[in-house]
Amino acid sequence: MGSISFNHVFKRYKGESRPAVNDFHLTIEEGEFLVLVGPSGCGKSTTLRMLAGLEEISSGELYLDGRFINYVSPKDRDIAMVFQNYALYPNLSVFENIALGLKLRKTAKHEIESRVKRVASILEISHLLERKPSQLSGGQKQRVALGRAIAREPQVFLMDEPLSNLDAKLRAQTRAELIKMQSDLKRTTVYVTHDQVEAMTMGTRIVVMKDGVIQQVAEPRKLYDEPANVFVAGFIGSPQMNFLNGTIEKNEEEYYFSNKRMKLLLPEAFGRRFEQARKTVRSVILGVRPEHVILKPGSSDEVNTVTGLVHMTEATGADSYVYVQLGSYLLIARTNPEQIYATGDVVSVAFMMNKIHFFDESTEELIGSDEA
Amino acid sequence: MMLMLRRLRAVSPFQVVLITLFTGLALFMSLPIVFIFNHAFKPQNELFLFPPRFFVRHPTLHNFETLFLHASNATVPFTRYLFNSLIVVSLTLISVVVVSTMAAYVLAKYEFHFKQLIMSLITLSLMFAPETVSIPRYLVINGIGLNNTYLGHILPSLASPVAVFMLVGFISQIPRDLMEAARIDGAGHFGIFVRMILPLSVPAIATISILTFQGVWGDVETSTLFMQKETMRTLAFYVNSLLSGLQNNVAGQNMAAAAGLLIFIPNLIIFLLFQRRVLETMVHSGIK
Repeated sequence: MGSISFNHVFKRYKGESRPAVNDFHLTIEEGEFLVLVGPSGCGKSTTLRMLAGLEEISSGELYLDGRFINYVSPKDRDIAMVFQNYALYPNLSVFENIALGLKLRKTAKHEIESRVKRVASILEISHLLERKPSQLSGGQKQRVALGRAIAREPQVFLMDEPLSNLDAKLRAQTRAELIKMQSDLKRTTVYVTHDQVEAMTMGTRIVVMKDGVIQQVAEPRKLYDEPANVFVAGFIGSPQMNFLNGTIEKNEEEYYFSNKRMKLLLPEAFGRRFEQARKTVRSVILGVRPEHVILKPGSSDEVNTVTGLVHMTEATGADSYVYVQLGSYLLIARTNPEQIYATGDVVSVAFMMNKIHFFDESTEELIGSDEA
Repeated sequence: MMLMLRRLRAVSPFQVVLITLFTGLALFMSLPIVFIFNHAFKPQNELFLFPPRFFVRHPTLHNFETLFLHASNATVPFTRYLFNSLIVVSLTLISVVVVSTMAAYVLAKYEFHFKQLIMSLITLSLMFAPETVSIPRYLVINGIGLNNTYLGHILPSLASPVAVFMLVGFISQIPRDLMEAARIDGAGHFGIFVRMILPLSVPAIATISILTFQGVWGDVETSTLFMQKETMRTLAFYVNSLLSGLQNNVAGQNMAAAAGLLIFIPNLIIFLLFQRRVLETMVHSGIK
């Protein structure tokens, strides 16, 4: 019930040379909470709309539970969708909004009544059933839209940025409720968002897309720890990962990362990865997350340590982010808020060497991973 | 009292100027209506007063008496004209709304071949003065043999480019998401049309209803050109004939004044009725 399979799906719009969705090939397991994430225009919404049947598939095949559904109309796909702007029917009451899908499917009247009431009580909107959508707040509209989807009891839920019109507090609350709801209902859910925090907290698996192409499909933790390329590394995580250009050099049996400002001795594990990648000396991009940058006041002569100047600091309460000028690079480091740094302070910078990533400068792909 | 003062204070000088200006304009625009009402109750001598006066001095019902006397003596009874008008107006109104909303829905929300061409033709037909197409229209009606039939009244006004044009503009503003949500919920094209598009287009439908009603109710041309039988002609034609042609111009004036008011009143009622609906639906539409 509810497994979906995309088989090399393309979407080309008339008059555009580049496909909006380019070779989308993925199987979504039953009961999975899959999040499609990426910047606007990356094709995530188009993918969702193809799955809903609102957009034609240019080439490739789409299966729902093994059934070929390329040409099945939206109403016969047994899916429900929650839209970004809720798309509540303004001329109908909340009750009628939730009931319409059931009514159009010729569900018995008493059945409709009981299902709507049950859904309304789950979502705590029982007292709103007689109202019109224009009399609801944003959060209430959002619940009605959810209720409309749940009442149908479809095999698959599709959600197109359903939280983006809510304010920050309500968004966090609704996010938690959605996660709970999904784990209770155990229905396959495909969720589109541009917000990487939503993606990381909600998805059992995340698909990162860019320019219509899947960049990486992985569980949240893996996506964070082993981003497949520079784009994913930069997109997931806030503040974003620091990138430094440089070259890998081999000196006897030891590997070094070096550029104008620094020369870092790399742990052995990297040596194995570089050897597997079969090229020893080449241009790379070093990626390191702000929480893996270690700052100390004052300069230092230790190995693998560079000296820089504090450019500015940002205190968020729980953490402080310090921007350090390293030549032409501006490096962000997450630090303990107890330690105060002032602009212009001299600091020594070191990296947690087992947490850094190397990307090929020409392809921007990750060089070797633990699995490879 | 305090509240009123506070409200008054919140009005800026610019707004005062604007309000005064628009109140003046509104009063000026209402003058014809004031005139129609006063004119109907003027005795014969006041009707021919020069310079003409706006307001009636000695109101009388004599004009109405003369009108009803004349009507009851005519070969074709007054009620026949009224009946014709009612039939023609109601059938035209219903069919214009049905045809125009359907056409506009498809033109606004679907992609198909020659859509642009059709839209251009509709826009183009807006630019013709009705008089320029009188002769071709006569040839068509005559050719199909619709003279002296109700269809001859209804068909020419059925294709209403103004209505389609207005509705296309209105319907294209209805968010696509709504239709898609309805599609996923299981509504077909017709279901979406009936359940979503029609209820949401009520303001526009009200507007075109007013326009169509006024056009058809006051239309004299159809009765003059296509209806040779007196029994197929409408009220507007009858009222018009009181002044021109067969009747004595001077004696007809007072009847025309009374009839003018009577024929104007339905217009006013329809307008007030639908106008309230227009405002109501605009307040409650809450699409966003």
